[in-house]
Amino acid sequence: MNLSDIVAQQLVNGLVLGSFYALVALGYTMIFGVIKLLNFAHGDLYMVGGFVGFLALSAISGVVGGDWPGVFIAMLFAMIAVGCLGVVIERVAYHPMLAAPRLSILITALAVSLVLQNAVLGLTGGQYQAFRADLGFGGFDIGSLFIQHNQMVLVGTAALLMVALQLFVTRTQFGRAMRAVSIDKDMCQLMGINVPVVIAVTFFIGSALAAAAGTMAGAYYGSIWYFMGFLIGLKAFTAAVIGGIGSIPGAMLGGLVLGLLEAFGTQIPGIGSEWKDVFSFAVLILVLVLKPTGLLGKPEQERM
Amino acid sequence: MQIIKKAAAAGVLALAFGSPALAQDAIAIGVQVPTTGSEATYGQDMANAIAIAQGEINANGGVLGQQLSMVVGDSACDPQQSVNAASKLVSLNVVGVVGGYCSGATLPTLKIYGDANVPFVIAAANSTQLIPANPGNAFMINSTGDQQATRAVEFLSSKGATTLAIVNQGDAYSQDLANLTRDAWTEAGHTVAAFETANKGEQDFSAIVTAIRGANPDAVFWTAYFADGGLLIRQLRQGGYQGIIAVGDGSNSPNLFDIAGRAAEGVFAFSNPTADFLPAAQDFAETYTQQYNAAPGPYAPLAYDGMRLLAWAIEKAGSTDADAIIEALATADGEEWLAGPISFTEQNTLARSNFIVLEGKDGAWTRAD
Repeated sequence: MNLSDIVAQQLVNGLVLGSFYALVALGYTMIFGVIKLLNFAHGDLYMVGGFVGFLALSAISGVVGGDWPGVFIAMLFAMIAVGCLGVVIERVAYHPMLAAPRLSILITALAVSLVLQNAVLGLTGGQYQAFRADLGFGGFDIGSLFIQHNQMVLVGTAALLMVALQLFVTRTQFGRAMRAVSIDKDMCQLMGINVPVVIAVTFFIGSALAAAAGTMAGAYYGSIWYFMGFLIGLKAFTAAVIGGIGSIPGAMLGGLVLGLLEAFGTQIPGIGSEWKDVFSFAVLILVLVLKPTGLLGKPEQERM
Repeated sequence: MQIIKKAAAAGVLALAFGSPALAQDAIAIGVQVPTTGSEATYGQDMANAIAIAQGEINANGGVLGQQLSMVVGDSACDPQQSVNAASKLVSLNVVGVVGGYCSGATLPTLKIYGDANVPFVIAAANSTQLIPANPGNAFMINSTGDQQATRAVEFLSSKGATTLAIVNQGDAYSQDLANLTRDAWTEAGHTVAAFETANKGEQDFSAIVTAIRGANPDAVFWTAYFADGGLLIRQLRQGGYQGIIAVGDGSNSPNLFDIAGRAAEGVFAFSNPTADFLPAAQDFAETYTQQYNAAPGPYAPLAYDGMRLLAWAIEKAGSTDADAIIEALATADGEEWLAGPISFTEQNTLARSNFIVLEGKDGAWTRAD
């Protein structure tokens, strides 16, 4: 491989990784938008999504096979199940805390994260679970650049979900309500918007997107375990902050930027792959110093 | 939980059928293995093997006329958890400890057992970093990392490889093996084409795979554990890498095939001798399979040996006095155990290396050397 091939290949790698980050970051940013909560349990919903998708695929793979059609059906199932789990978590753990100080609800989110992790740890015995999808190794060769079919399907699916979300938020009545709630919850209540329902739907969509990423990651990488949500949760949070927390296009952009940073961080001459995270987080600090609202975030306006 | 139940069941059985030593106090042996976390497979496997040894010893009248009891401390392959586990075992006044799987998690426990003067038979962990940290009460019955590195360089050279990419995970065990292999490989006159570190817990290795394909080495050597190794192997082959792939003894698990799938075909693994390849271990393997409905894993014979060695040392010392037991272990003189003869160097490491080479074929390991 010559240099231009390596750059192109890392671009592909960064896109794939960035798609996962973006899908998870979207949930962070949407939930922060409506209730100003950093939902630290979000990475664990990704993990639960991986497990639900695995169970669903195991149940149906006899009929539809373990290739992408089966994975998509399993993914839909995981999205619905984890979406509902997200709503339940909001009603049980966060809703009673909405009037409490911001720190209390943040700690509640950490507790929810631990509950989810340990529940899955208890159920699986802490073992790695092989995800028996059968996706094949095929792909396109362009010179020595190699793009797998799987990678194209992954990025395509992630893009489709993001476009659908963007259309939902910008073109529907409900999306408008969601944006309104993110600006001023109390005023929305006064204007007759059913705020609790808007919050529930936001949790449903955010959690479902994380579950979609979890199932696809399980199928693509081939294994799942109870701790797989921790690191990606952290990275997705970083992506959301880089893009501008609260901004939906920002989360997508932040995810891709972080994915690309990591891919190219591995390749910097003289700096080994053990430094790639240092590199990514240095960029995060730079963004926060130079543009504290993130790449696409809007500054909060204080009104007198 | 399951192991603890099984171990307890084995203990109860042994007591029921055992000698008249029922009324006497049992000699408590600590077992430090990961029973949760990414390495739980190995840890449970070791605990199972130790329980078998315990059952057999008790059925034969125990040690010094007393029965052995087993207390499991979960190290979770995590330095903080293992320190908690070790403190727990020490506070329960165990006579000796067997186990130690992850080197990174075993390292901080050496001081705890050293301060409490508890004899510690390290059955699996084999980083050379453990050697200088050993206060003198620990004995390593697995070949150390440098003996594996030498074997790896020999074998890969014999396969015609001259350029090598080494990938580790930044923990004590895998980094140690990676550094030793790098030094031995350069010393043999070959080139290290790439030296990469992956983050533990990260699923995506694509950036590293591309870096490796850019360097285009004859062989790739993964020095860490199977769960992430499976991911790397899969992504290397998916990414179009066609050279030799070899993995260290931490990845020598049947579960590697579950995760890596077809990609694990033709992968080489360096391994301490597993039960399948040990003539002396056939009876043990049969007992294990009967009791646990699964084949013994790679460290089962060593864990079994570790428990028997400790019991042997207590018997030889003639008391449960720690100094006497340590003295007895230090003077072990090539007695035959499942995995071969055990005698120790002055640094309490195994005097004789025991590494073999395996190859992945049809979803299972076969002997390749």
